[in-house]
Amino acid sequence: MNILELHNLKKYFATQKAVDDISMSIPKGSIFGLLGPNGAGKTTLIRMITGIFYPDAGDIILKGKKFDPENDAKYIGYMPEERGLYKKMKIGEQALYLAQLKGLSKHDAMHKIKEWFKRLEMESWWNKKVEDLSKGMGQKLQFVITVLHEPDLIILDEPFSGLDPINANLIKDEIYRLAQNGTTIIFSTHRMEQVEEICNNIVLVNKGQKILDGTVQNVKQDFKENLFSIQLENTPAAISSNAFDIVTVNKQELIVKINEGFKANDVLGYFMNNGSNIVSFKELLPSLNDIFIKLVEGTPTARQFQKVTE
Amino acid sequence: MKKITLIIQREFLTRVRKKTFIIGTILFPLLYLGLIFGTGYIADKTKEDLNIALIDQSGLFKQDLIKSINGNDTVNSIQLVAVSPELIKTSFDSLGFDGYVIVPQNFTWQTGADSLLVNTKKSFGIGALNPIEKKINLMWNRIKRDSLGIDVGKEAILSKSIDLKINNEKDKNANAGIATVIGYVSGFLMYFILLLYGSQVMMGVTEEKTSRIAEVVVSSVKPFQLMIGKIIGIGMVALTQFLIWIACILIIYNVTKTTGNDGTASVMVGKIQQVFTSVNIPLVVGCFIFYLLAGFFFYSSLYAAIGSAINEDMREAQSLSFPITMLIIFSIALMTPAISNPSSPVAVWASIIPFSSPIVMMARIPFGVPNTVPWWQLGLSMVLLVAGFMFTTWFAARIYRTGILMYGKKPSWKEMIKWAFRK
Repeated sequence: MNILELHNLKKYFATQKAVDDISMSIPKGSIFGLLGPNGAGKTTLIRMITGIFYPDAGDIILKGKKFDPENDAKYIGYMPEERGLYKKMKIGEQALYLAQLKGLSKHDAMHKIKEWFKRLEMESWWNKKVEDLSKGMGQKLQFVITVLHEPDLIILDEPFSGLDPINANLIKDEIYRLAQNGTTIIFSTHRMEQVEEICNNIVLVNKGQKILDGTVQNVKQDFKENLFSIQLENTPAAISSNAFDIVTVNKQELIVKINEGFKANDVLGYFMNNGSNIVSFKELLPSLNDIFIKLVEGTPTARQFQKVTE
Repeated sequence: MKKITLIIQREFLTRVRKKTFIIGTILFPLLYLGLIFGTGYIADKTKEDLNIALIDQSGLFKQDLIKSINGNDTVNSIQLVAVSPELIKTSFDSLGFDGYVIVPQNFTWQTGADSLLVNTKKSFGIGALNPIEKKINLMWNRIKRDSLGIDVGKEAILSKSIDLKINNEKDKNANAGIATVIGYVSGFLMYFILLLYGSQVMMGVTEEKTSRIAEVVVSSVKPFQLMIGKIIGIGMVALTQFLIWIACILIIYNVTKTTGNDGTASVMVGKIQQVFTSVNIPLVVGCFIFYLLAGFFFYSSLYAAIGSAINEDMREAQSLSFPITMLIIFSIALMTPAISNPSSPVAVWASIIPFSSPIVMMARIPFGVPNTVPWWQLGLSMVLLVAGFMFTTWFAARIYRTGILMYGKKPSWKEMIKWAFRK
């Protein structure tokens, strides 16, 4: 079952087609990566999902029903890339206020804040002000405020920026825990190694359009170039086979590209017949980083202003 | 609705709990009174104290006449000096005089002189010579009286004059003096509250925008709810402050009433009671609360729109809010002619047109409803002001929802109006 479905979503600004006909479905309980270069339209897309912007065209289906920003706010938790809190307000009161705005009763909100503050060792912060916190502490607080009302869908825009490795792991563990409990997480970033580590599914947008959609495994399979790495005890001086081409030769490692119509066994067979001792053999899948660069490269690094006619 | 209530609560409580609110509520009236009495006191203290020598060549100004005139007023004194004009010219300042007057030989009791010269080395303000002039004329009057053989009794008859007073048949208790004072106080109070709390709304919105909390909040509530919640919350703060002041005035009124009849207190009580009988206090306070809130909504929504458009730079705020601030200042400029003639066309129109009506109408109301301000004018003014603030709130909300998430360059008024009228 999909928690969120977008159908032909469009949002045009005066000089920019920020989101230009994007459709996607996000399965319940998944950790979903929304990727794209700067200015691709990610933030606009997220703002439509969170009800901040109304789409010009298209439908948003949340939990099987048409999205109603007024009443569905409680199902969504959103942590924007630019963190924002009232600097002069006490942390406890602030968390309480924002949770109540999401629709929690005062009693429930209080109970949940205490629980979260205890788990993340933030109890002593209650009467402090946000301006007293370090950047990383503020980040942690922002995360707690985002997930406090137990939304079904959590949208995190660059959640790890500014966090040290310990706190980043803490947040990461919380994300896994939430996902295990059935919460869906949309994760917007351009840090590919994190996406690879955390996400099940990804969508890549560029220039307001979706250019890639699938599970991390499938995407990697789709973009593989049949590259394999082989380690041999002693590399033979001359290698030649019509089953594969040599891409690079290192001291210990060969990287080969298997030609059309041949299989990994053909490569292994060649070296075994050759009398070489094989130490290791593995397929080289492209990293998401490579795929990202390959797909986005060639398009101008900064989006150009365009005339929008409609 | 529940969410707006939450926002109003937060805006109200965070402001009322601040020390600046408590200090401001107590200090502002004290400062205001201090300003009024302080300037009066300083003006009183800095009056000229002149000591003038009189050289009489006509023989009309006698020593005992001068003495009796000086006897009443010791601050500005005239002294008869029997030296030659040449000598006094060189020595008057060393003798302790500020100047000297020579009454020439041809000065007779019938014709006097068109003017006399005060010879001095100082420069004086406009009114500085008035007391001396008065004394010399008083002396000449006595000389004329004695020469004509008029005694003190006859002089008293001659010097009697008639006062003209107003008897307003429709409103027996009307008192233009008290109405003027209350009109000024109400108008200025309105002016201060609109400017002060209007800019608080603007800064509050800018703070939410620049601290990026706005994006977090508008993912839970509509931008309009956030804006209107802030405006209502701050409006309640203004109202609370005003009600505290009113309560203080009532306490002072009741305390002065009971402390009885000794000297200064009874005069105060009399004056305060006169205010309560000559002006319809409940009507004035009621209208003030209406115009305070409606005027506040009218202006503060515009300030909120500006607050949403600007970024960290406070100079941007100044340049963008200038037209709005000018409207308020223009209203206070219209107030003075409206008070001096509360039924003039300027006063009537300025108190009906929404932008100036909160200040100008509040200045007119103490003169009496329905005598000076007919009911239809009050009603029309109120209806138009409500329509006005509904329009500005609508207009501001449309700028606000775009501005609050827009970073980068400061928009111009032209661009902001474009945002407002886009679909």
